[in-house]
Amino acid sequence: MRNVAIIGVGYTPVFVSKRKDVNIVEMISEAVDAAFRNTNLTPDDIDSITFGNMQTFEGLNLPHLWAADHISALGKPTIRISTGGTTGMSTLQAAYYQVASGLYDVVMAVTWEKQSEGDSQVGLAGIVMPEVMVMVQNGMDLFGGRGIGGMGGGSTGAASYQATSYLHHSGASPEHIDKMAALERTNASKNPYAHLRKATTVEDIQATPFISWPLRYGHTCPTSDGATVAIVVSEEKAAKLADQAAWINGVACCASDPTTANLIEGQITDPAEQQPARIAAEKAFAMAGIKNPRKEIDMAELYNGFAHQSLMWLEKLGLCKEGEAHKMLDKGALDIDGELPTNASGGVFSTNAIGASAMNRPAECALQIMRKIEGGHQIPKKVRNALAHGWGGLFQYVTVMIISDEPRKA
Amino acid sequence: MDRKVAIVGQAQTKHSEDTGMPRERMLFELVKGLFGQFGMTRHDIDTFVLCSNDFETGRTISNVFEDTPVGAYMKDETKVEADGAWAVMYAATRILSGIYDTALVVANSLGGSEFRPYLIMDYQLNPTYDRQLALINEPSAAAFQARSYMDKYGMTDAYLDMIAARLLRNAARNPNALRAKADATPEYVAGSEYLYEPLRKLHCYPFTDGACVLLLASGEKAKDLTDSPIWIKGLGDSIESYYLGERELFRSPSARLAAERAYKMAGISDPKGQIDVAEVSAKFTHQEPIICEALGLFPEGSGGEVAEKGLSEIDGDMPVCPSGGALGAYPFSAAGAIRVAECFRQLTGSAGEAQVANAGTAVAHGQDGFCAQHNAVIVLTVEEG
Amino acid sequence: MAFEMGPETRQVQGTWDVTTYKYKIDGGGMKLLCDAMKEKKIRGIRCNECGTVYVPAPTFCRKCHVDIDEVVEVEDSGEVGTFAVEMADMRGNPIEKERISAQIKLDGADTWLGGTIEGVDWHDVKIGMKVKAIWVDNPEGRLSDIDHFEPL
Repeated sequence: MRNVAIIGVGYTPVFVSKRKDVNIVEMISEAVDAAFRNTNLTPDDIDSITFGNMQTFEGLNLPHLWAADHISALGKPTIRISTGGTTGMSTLQAAYYQVASGLYDVVMAVTWEKQSEGDSQVGLAGIVMPEVMVMVQNGMDLFGGRGIGGMGGGSTGAASYQATSYLHHSGASPEHIDKMAALERTNASKNPYAHLRKATTVEDIQATPFISWPLRYGHTCPTSDGATVAIVVSEEKAAKLADQAAWINGVACCASDPTTANLIEGQITDPAEQQPARIAAEKAFAMAGIKNPRKEIDMAELYNGFAHQSLMWLEKLGLCKEGEAHKMLDKGALDIDGELPTNASGGVFSTNAIGASAMNRPAECALQIMRKIEGGHQIPKKVRNALAHGWGGLFQYVTVMIISDEPRKA
Repeated sequence: MDRKVAIVGQAQTKHSEDTGMPRERMLFELVKGLFGQFGMTRHDIDTFVLCSNDFETGRTISNVFEDTPVGAYMKDETKVEADGAWAVMYAATRILSGIYDTALVVANSLGGSEFRPYLIMDYQLNPTYDRQLALINEPSAAAFQARSYMDKYGMTDAYLDMIAARLLRNAARNPNALRAKADATPEYVAGSEYLYEPLRKLHCYPFTDGACVLLLASGEKAKDLTDSPIWIKGLGDSIESYYLGERELFRSPSARLAAERAYKMAGISDPKGQIDVAEVSAKFTHQEPIICEALGLFPEGSGGEVAEKGLSEIDGDMPVCPSGGALGAYPFSAAGAIRVAECFRQLTGSAGEAQVANAGTAVAHGQDGFCAQHNAVIVLTVEEG
Repeated sequence: MAFEMGPETRQVQGTWDVTTYKYKIDGGGMKLLCDAMKEKKIRGIRCNECGTVYVPAPTFCRKCHVDIDEVVEVEDSGEVGTFAVEMADMRGNPIEKERISAQIKLDGADTWLGGTIEGVDWHDVKIGMKVKAIWVDNPEGRLSDIDHFEPL
């Protein structure tokens, strides 16, 4: 199996609610230019391009075709990947497989979202539009909630159901969600590429109203405009192009059934169970040769659209025992200078250009390993193995990558 | 390359204007049918590569309800949002990486009954300018390209009628085709109404509901599963500028580059001599010569001559689209995968009345974008080599 | 390197019109459920191979990947799988009275159904709590035939 490494990352200069100064293709090209600058590569060095975003958020079909001229793709192999919230990592995984296959040596993965140009509500509602229409036709009380199938959970949707179940099974309290939220926003305040960068205390979080208990407004992620690009290369190229590369040693993905209680295809999974996370994590650990994740994984970047999810994923991915995550939080183990820094970047919870969000996770892991973090959220201890996680669909897709400072041993 | 990848099996829906059933049911039955051919279950598949389009399905994340019907529950899956040829290439890289031994590619569209494909393409237009002006759409842009080729090489549109008639006749030998006519003549084609001159309705692909599933496997596994694995020997793709004004529409540099990459991998130095049959995705008849010429199958500008002399007939010098091609059926995301599936049928000697004699090497092509802005080429062989 | 946003570009309007789609949805399971609800009953479909009972039912079992058609009846009572308490609407405006919405595992079914719970203070709702459906007086074969759930 060919070893593959990330040698550089490019971000748009900022991730904010509205980039009113650039259009879609201009914005993406900023991140592409940044990736070239950060790796000293030129377009001629790139063998192939993978490209992903969630296109209904901008109402623009197959955007890689318009963007081709603007991301130096002309004359190059190009492929588009789109898998919902996991798109960022799926796009990077496509790049990984292209290099691992031996067909290409240098592949650029481009991910982005410019949600301000579309309507996020439509984008999200569009996932189950026809199902909802059928349910309403059959008497579902869409907003009132009477009867079966009402859209319970309010605007936090099934995440609230997931949070309640998680609290129950883990023994964590709602205050732990507040604490995790405050920790990640404070991390984000040190990250120049984060969106919500105001240092936040537990009291600040608790001052926000509950939308759907146990989730508060302060537990939800923003919608951001931004793009993230990563360049992956073969082992031979990495030796020439980078002093310290970030090796993709484990790659996995798993899809369950949609677990948001649409009534066309009955849900059989507890949204807090997240069996795909277990399956994907085990596969990724095995591929990377990680036998004791709790000891060997030095940091985690988790896809948390909602603050409770950081704690939940730590357990479901096997980075700590069931019911242990909130205790680690209390001990300070999840802090940037703790034993398992979690979302030092602030996570999706602080920055969410949704097509890029699952790419930001491995990008941050790579930057941490290469010690190229800009701003103040570089993890002080040596990072040998990092876990990057992506999540999406109707609470059904999980992708995992294990990124390390050395290639996997043969 | 030590690892090898082969196609082991294929299945297609009977392509139609309306499947009469929900997408999920269509996929379930199609995939079950393929598994049945091999006595396999979904647990024999290491990875699923789906291919569908959000704007065609009218659903954000078009694959959320496609996973369980194809058998991907609690399994490794991903989705390519492009023409099916790219899904096949991606699945091939997954197997070549050594991490997976079997891959299932499932590509589908209900572009016949659910949504109009020309509208799907409208949403692809640059929203800041082209979509606002609403001056071009897919068939009108294709008409630019047709006119460009005719002007460059001094031809009339008669060749368009001849190509379309040949494809309709070929489609009549394809049990899965949607639009077919066994005795189609150029006059018959010329009787259909103009959409945008010089393109008539019968020069353009039909709106189609359909799906295609392909089972890929690594070398050893493929030989376990079947006596006639068809090897993916070469693959390549390339993209041109989005901006039509910056392109020479009468030729396809991206199809040429894609073919060069695929041919190099496959050891093909003389396409005309070494390739026995070609399945290209020409959504409009004028695209067939442009693509075939870019693939090195015919000389540049020879569209008229090829049509008149019947060089691309099933029993001609270089058979092109014995299946009837895109004019016989064109489900939006599945189309390129169907071209691969048709090459598979040819190379395994199972193409029935459309069989090209002694087919040993085939080339499949897929495209995306206005006037085939993005092209993919896959070379398939019977010989393991 | 402080970033300064450049001057604002022009903006133009566009739409994605989802009403032009002719979706095809398999409503068989929904129909089975709604027809049963007219009789104040709940029905789903059981997979013969693994025994999973889906309410409402798809036409195939997603675990076994086989067609399923064995109709079974399940109880109209069960336990709370998980729940949430709505305190603000979709836009974040506080609503007058909190609403307890839950995902409920009816006895005999392996699927979870959404529904609201009344007749209990939300602080007393627990995962695993037993609840039963409260039907309207004259069910019409619609999802609204169950008015809400109450603790048993």
